[in-house]
Order: sequence, then structure tokens, then C-alpha cells
Amino acid sequence: MNFYQSGWTKVLTTYHRFAGSWAWIFHRISGLALTAYIFMHIIALSNLQKHKIDGGKAFNEEMALFSSPFFLVIEWLLFAFVLYHTLNGIRIVLVDFANGARYHKQLHYAVVTIGVIAFIAMGYVIFSHQVNKTVAMLF
Amino acid sequence: MQVTFSIQRYDSSKDKKPYRQEFKLDVEPTDRILDCLDRIKWDFEGSLTYRRSCSHGICGSDAININGKNMLACQVLIQDIKKKRIKIDPIPGMPIIKDLVVDTTDFFAKYEVVKPYLIAKNPPPKERFQSVADRALIDEAVNCILCGACTSSCPSMWGNPNYLGPAAMLKAYRFAFDSRDEAPAEHLEAIDTSDGVWRCHTIFNCVEACPKEINLTWHISQLKKKMVEREL
Repeated sequence: MNFYQSGWTKVLTTYHRFAGSWAWIFHRISGLALTAYIFMHIIALSNLQKHKIDGGKAFNEEMALFSSPFFLVIEWLLFAFVLYHTLNGIRIVLVDFANGARYHKQLHYAVVTIGVIAFIAMGYVIFSHQVNKTVAMLF
Repeated sequence: MQVTFSIQRYDSSKDKKPYRQEFKLDVEPTDRILDCLDRIKWDFEGSLTYRRSCSHGICGSDAININGKNMLACQVLIQDIKKKRIKIDPIPGMPIIKDLVVDTTDFFAKYEVVKPYLIAKNPPPKERFQSVADRALIDEAVNCILCGACTSSCPSMWGNPNYLGPAAMLKAYRFAFDSRDEAPAEHLEAIDTSDGVWRCHTIFNCVEACPKEINLTWHISQLKKKMVEREL
């Protein structure tokens, strides 16, 4: 007799998500995003090889592109992924090899709090120069 | 107060897919979900099928999924749910036989893999003595009633049906850390595989699901530590 079994995607989308499940989902997403990023990073770096023949033109063009406001925002997001993956990675090590499993929710809240503060601080570092320049132009 | 129950129905002998059926009941906030299921079965729909035996949170047969979370129907009150609409499903990740009854063959096959019994080579002189401190190590782990709520709530298990699951892992801990067990390595050997203890990604769904409030992930982390210590 054939018994019915729901597929894992259906179960994953319908089962209630607790703090630990969110931590796991974000860890997976940030991990995939960082994997995708490293390929783009290698492609971008390999393009710089041209500077040997064009006297720095390719390098300057690429740097100009990466300092545009759009790429600054993308970089800020990249920092968010690196930050979350690092902090939650530390949380997982504490859970697996210290007594963290007893305090996993507190650890998760600590990860989120430290993450948000560092994310905002990094936003200031990235954009303060741009914002100051705009403000100076206006007044 | 009136509460709507939306229950997933399915009969493997005639239905291709599960469907939902709704029942409206006048209930007291202190009624258990199991009482409501009983009333639905006795007064409205005799064909509704679910497992229940002791109905006091000891036998572990009535683990079901209530509003997306695995719980014991006999341990949860209407007032704990805090919703007027209660969705009831069989526990996920296991084949459904009928309505809320799932096939637990696989669950118990995995349970047997970890040798869930005390391995003692010789008969005891008089009794197998255990100190209070040694017993304290397994105080939490012995509370497991094998309801399957944890294993069924585990995303690692949904994604990889070969994963032994938290319930089997807890049982491995219970005997590997028992001072009376003479071959802890035999329990550990069974779970030191990619489908064993290392498949746990510390998602903590099992801890949220456990009706006996056992911190399964903590026990799995102790097993992981033991594995690493063995290698050093």
C-alpha cells in the first residue's frame, strides 16, 4: 500500500519557525551568497590582469565602478552576509563544543544585536565620506 | 468559547491526496486538544483516526502537529494555543497511513541502530551500582517517551531520510553516558557517521517540539564532543 508523504519543501514552508530555525535559514542563505560572491570576486580580480598591458586603465575603471553608490550599497550587504555568517558560526561552535545548547536563544539574540550594531557602524564608515561630500556641496 | 478545528484527512486505501475538513466546537479554555479530537470523533465524524493510549503524556502515541508545531495532543490545552482556529496535521516527515496516524516503522528502525539497551557482558555481583553524580548525567535523557515529535520536526531529517534523528541520538547518549554500560563505544560507533550525529545542524526544532522538555541538541553536542575526544 502506498502511504502519502509530503515533500520536504512543503514541510519546510509550513512548519513553524523558531529562533533556531531562523538562525539556520540565514546561515544557509548567507553561506550560499558568500559562495556566489567568491566566484564574482575571482572574475573581477582576473579582469585586473589587463593592467599589465594597458597601464592601469582597467584597474582605474573597475575601481571607479566599485566606488559608485550602487556598489557601495552592494558592498554593505556583502558585509552583512559576512558578519552574520561569522557571528552565527561562532554561535554554532559554542553550541557544539561548549555549553551553548543551553543558551542558544540568548546567543542568537546576542548575534543579532552585535550584528545590527556592527552593520550600522559599517554603514557609517562606508557612506560618511559620500554624505559629507554631498552636504558640503549643498551648503 | 467557539473554536474551529481544521483537520487534515487522508485514507491511504482510497485517497490520492490529503484534504482538510473543518469542525466547529464549543470548548472550555482548559480542554485538552485530545478531548476536542475525542468529541469530534464521538459526536461528529466517527471515521476520524488518531493514536491515543494513556492520554496523560506517558505513552507518547498522540504526537501531532498543531498550528505548525509538533506537540502531544494530551498535554496541550486550548488556552495554550491562543487562537480561535486550530490547524491539526499529522507529524511531518513520516508517511501517513490514515488521518493523523503516521507510519513509524522507519523511526523505530533507526532507533534500533543505536543499540538502545544496556550492554553488560557479565551478570552483576548483586546490583549494578550507580552514584548520584553518574545518574545525574542521564537524568534528562531517561525522560524520553519516544513520541517522535523531535525526529519529525527536524529539517535535517526532512532533507535526508537516512538521518537517524534526534530521538535515536538521545537514546545513544542515554546508554553511552550510563556508567553501568560496559561498551559505550558500541553506541557511539553506530552514530559516528555522516547520517548520524554529524548531520545535526543545531536548528533546535527538536528542543521546541519535545513535550518532556528535553534539550536534545545539548545531548547531541555532548556526543559530538565525545567523538572529538575519541580522536584526540
